[in-house]
Amino acid sequence: MRPALLMLLACSLATAVRAYEPAVNYMLQCMGCHTPDGSGEPGRVPSIRDTVLPFARLPAGRRYLVQVPGAAQSTLSDVELAALINWMIVELGHATPQGFAPFTAAEVAQYRRTPLTDVRSERERLLALTH
Amino acid sequence: MNWLDALAEASVRSMAQRTSRRSLLASLGALLVGTAALPLLPVARGAEPPQKGAAPTGGADDKAAAKAAALQDPQSCDYWRHCAIDGYLCGCCGGSQHSCPPGTEMSPVTWVGTCHNPADGLDYVVSYNDCCGKSTCGRCLCNRNERDTPIYIPFQSNDYNWCSGSAKGNLAYHCSTARIVGQAR
Repeated sequence: MRPALLMLLACSLATAVRAYEPAVNYMLQCMGCHTPDGSGEPGRVPSIRDTVLPFARLPAGRRYLVQVPGAAQSTLSDVELAALINWMIVELGHATPQGFAPFTAAEVAQYRRTPLTDVRSERERLLALTH
Repeated sequence: MNWLDALAEASVRSMAQRTSRRSLLASLGALLVGTAALPLLPVARGAEPPQKGAAPTGGADDKAAAKAAALQDPQSCDYWRHCAIDGYLCGCCGGSQHSCPPGTEMSPVTWVGTCHNPADGLDYVVSYNDCCGKSTCGRCLCNRNERDTPIYIPFQSNDYNWCSGSAKGNLAYHCSTARIVGQAR
């Protein structure tokens, strides 16, 4: 019985989707467009760097960070997406770990189910709130 | 020694009776031409060790060796970093696998994926930045596309971002690089 169980475990480990560190998930899921430091391309790709921390301090901004299509529709799990957004707030937004409320998988799951239809006007509304 | 003289005389006379003088020329000629023609036969070539730069003979060992060499050749589509490439290799176009040819500019918007390096057994994050600003290079077209998604899963599709982030409106696509940007852990 025990060897059979071990083999089953080995098979499930071998077929499991490879999980990466948040820094690698940033490279694979975000960096291609948002550039390595998150500054994006002016006029084409929005900056993560300048907005991720101010948005994380507003309730509507927290919803936006999860619902923005690149985040909500990524292939990451809720746990991975929460870890990635928290990583971006510290590494790209230059926040101290005490300077913001970290996202949990439950919070990500709650926002992620609701699609954000008009991304651009929501972003502009939030930018007006934070400036 | 009479018996030796007799033997020699008998054999020479019998040969002279059985063969013509022209047959000596014929057989000598055949020997000369045959010796020269023997290396041209496929049997003779198959026995020789393969020479560097010679065309592969199609054996299983040759194929395995060629594949192993291609995995480490930056100008081959089978080079390990090119696992998800879609485009012309900049290494064949005057640049390299991490730099653009003169007269082109590297697009900051790029497609990013992972490739396995068989030499050290590790996975690396590879960024396929396009070089833009000149018309298509046309050499070394490779299309491997590992983990590329269809365009209805747009964030990991490599079909729509050709030179799209390039400054100064350099939208003409020339070739693609394959830069290592990190280790996939």
